[in-house]
Amino acid sequence: MSAGNLTPSRKRSKWNDEGDDAAEDFQSHPRSKRRVKARLVPRPSPSPSIAIAHPTRPSHCVYVPPRTQHPSILPSRSVYCYERLNQIEEGSYGVVFRARDKQTGDIVALKKLKLDEEKNGFPITALREVNALMACHHENVVRVREVVVGDTLTQVFVVMDFIEHDLKSLLTLMPAPFLQSEIKTLMLQLLSAVDHCHSNWILHRDLKTSNLLMNNRGTIKVADFGLARRYGDPVGVGGMTQLVVTLWYRAPEILLGAMSYSTAVDLWSVGCIFAELLLKEPLFQAKSEMELLSMIFKLLGPPTHNSWPEYFSLPLAKTINLPSPQPPQFRQKFQYLTSAGLDLLMSLLFYDPERRITASEALDHPYFKESPLPKHPDLFGSFPSAAAGEKKQKLFNSPSAPVRAADNKFSM
Amino acid sequence: MSRSLYPLASLSQIRQTPSRADGIPASLESAILANACKLIHTAGILLHQKQVAVATAQILFHRFWFVSSLKSFSVADIAFGALYLGSKLEECPLRVRDLVNVYHVLLQRAKGKVGTEIGIMSYFGNTFYELKDALVVAEMQILKRLGFNTHVVLPYGSLVSYLRLLGQDRPNVVAKAWGYLNDALQSPVYALYQVPTIVSAAILLTSRFLAIRLPDAWWKLFDAEWEDVWSVCGYIMRLYHPEIDKKVVERMLTKGDVRTWLEENPRAVDVAQEENAIHN
Repeated sequence: MSAGNLTPSRKRSKWNDEGDDAAEDFQSHPRSKRRVKARLVPRPSPSPSIAIAHPTRPSHCVYVPPRTQHPSILPSRSVYCYERLNQIEEGSYGVVFRARDKQTGDIVALKKLKLDEEKNGFPITALREVNALMACHHENVVRVREVVVGDTLTQVFVVMDFIEHDLKSLLTLMPAPFLQSEIKTLMLQLLSAVDHCHSNWILHRDLKTSNLLMNNRGTIKVADFGLARRYGDPVGVGGMTQLVVTLWYRAPEILLGAMSYSTAVDLWSVGCIFAELLLKEPLFQAKSEMELLSMIFKLLGPPTHNSWPEYFSLPLAKTINLPSPQPPQFRQKFQYLTSAGLDLLMSLLFYDPERRITASEALDHPYFKESPLPKHPDLFGSFPSAAAGEKKQKLFNSPSAPVRAADNKFSM
Repeated sequence: MSRSLYPLASLSQIRQTPSRADGIPASLESAILANACKLIHTAGILLHQKQVAVATAQILFHRFWFVSSLKSFSVADIAFGALYLGSKLEECPLRVRDLVNVYHVLLQRAKGKVGTEIGIMSYFGNTFYELKDALVVAEMQILKRLGFNTHVVLPYGSLVSYLRLLGQDRPNVVAKAWGYLNDALQSPVYALYQVPTIVSAAILLTSRFLAIRLPDAWWKLFDAEWEDVWSVCGYIMRLYHPEIDKKVVERMLTKGDVRTWLEENPRAVDVAQEENAIHN
C-alpha cells in the first residue's frame, strides 16, 4: 500500500487544477510531470488518443520526456507579486511570512533567506535547500512554487505552499494522541516522502516533528531542507559533516563520529518521530550528546558485536564506557503497541546502519496491513491553525448550577 | 523521473536571444560565448576543479544568455560567476581568493600580457575586492535570471551506456565521443536540446570520424530525432571553423567592450536587425 492510495483529496482538488495547468507555463513541474508519467507509461497497444498526441514517436522512453515537457528558462519574478499577510515564525535561517498571490489569490508561505554579511556569495546551504526542494516533487514534500527576489540582491524569498500546522505544535496542543490508524497514515506518508528523497539522491538530515507540516486534510508534508544535500554511493571523498540533525533525532553513528553516513540516518529520525507520535512527546529528550547516547543504550540495550559490528571501530567509541549488557526496553516503553508495530519501531531504531530498515522496505511492513488499517486522510479532524493566526474557539462553559437553588438547598 | 526535466530555451527565446535583440550579430554572440566557455575551462584546469563542476558552469552560462543580453552583463564576470556557482552545486566549492587570482591572471592574459608582465595582485588591494564583488554579483545575477532553477543533467553517463548498448565501448571510441561532448559545452546546445540528442550527435560524429558502422537509424533507440542530431552536429562542427577572428573576440570580455564594438560597427548592427526581422 502506498501513501498515494491514501490521499484522494489531491485527486479531488485536481479537478480544480486541471484547467489551470494549461495556463501555468511550466511553472508547476510536479503536476505536469505527473501527467507525463501517466501518459508515457508504455502500453501494449497504444490507444488512438496517444497516437494522435505523438504521431511521430508513438513509444517514448519514460526517461526521455518530449522536448515540450521541459520548462523554459524563466527569470525570477518580483516579491511584489505577493501581498504580505502575517509573520509565521523566525529562525536562524530567516523569516517566514504568510502571503497572498496577487494574481491567483492563493495563500502561500514566503521564506526570506538570510543573505546579509555573506562573504562567500550565495550560501551553499541555501543553494542545497532550494535545489533539494525543487528536485523532490512529491505529494508529501512541501511544494516550492518559485523563488522570487526583492529590490536588492540580498532579498531572496522561497515561495512555498502554505500548510496550516506543524506536527510538533499540533502534538502539544492536541488533547489526545493520534489513533493507531492515524499514526499509520502519517507514517506511510512520511516514509513515502523519505523514500522519494532518497531515490532522488537527497538526504534530508533534519527530520523532526517540527519540520513536518500538516494540513487540515490529513496530509503531512516534509519541509525545511536547510540541511539537506545530495549524496553519492559511495559517499564522496572528504565525507560529510557530523553537525547535522537536531540532537533528539540524531542517529548513533553520527553521535559516534562516523566519517560517512547515508540514508540510514534519516530512517533513525523517522523511528524517533514514530515513537513521538505514539508517546505524544519526544522519545529522547536529552540535553547533551552523552546523555542521548546513554538514553539510547538504555532503550536498545548497549551495542554488541552482533547488533553492530562496526561500533568498535567508530572514532568516538573508545571514549565511551558501555554499560553492562541488558535487554532492550521497547516492550516496557510501548505497552500498547502491537508486535508488528514494535517490530517496525525496532527496525527503524536499529544500531547497525547497514541493517537498519530502508524507507521502501518500511513501506511494505506488515504493521501497515494489520488492523486497524490506515485511516483515510479525509477523515482526519481539523485544528485551528496557529500559523494563520487562528485561535481555538473557546468551549462553552457549561452553565453552573443555579446559585440560589443551591443556597436554598444548603439552607434547607 | 523528476530529475529528467531540466530547463531548455523556449522557441521564442531561440528565435531571438536578448543579445540579438540588442543588435549583436548571431555569429559574434556565439563567438563571444564560446570564447568565454574556453575561459571557464582554462580556469577549471588552473584551479584543479572537477570536470563536472566546469561542465555545470558552462551549461548554466549558456542558459543565462537566453534571458540576458551581452550589452547588459559583462561576459567574463558571468563566466566566472557560473564557475563559482557550478562548483557549489557539485559540492566542490572554490575559495573566492583562488578564483579571483585565476580570474585576474586570465584577464591579464586576454589583454595580451604573458609571463612576468602579469602583475601580482596585492592581497588587500582594490583589484581583489572589485573582482570579488563582481563575482558575487554575477553569481547572484545568474541565480536570479535563471529563476534559481539550477538543475543540470550531464551527458557522460548516458554516453557510456549508449556506447555499450551499441557495442562500441572501446576506449578510443569513448574518448573521442567524450571529447565531442566537452567541446559541445562551448556551444549553446545544452540549453537547446535534450541530453540524449546531444549524446547521439557526439556518437554520430565519432562514428564518422573513426569510420565505425552503426545499425540503421540507431539514434531512434535513444529517442533522438535525426534533424535534431544533425543540427547539434552542426553546432559542434562550427566550433572548429570560427567565422569571426579569434583576436577580435578574445578582447571582448565586458559589456563596455561589446558596446564599443556596436558603436564602431553600425553597419553590422543594421544587418543583424534585418536578420532578426526576417526570422520573425
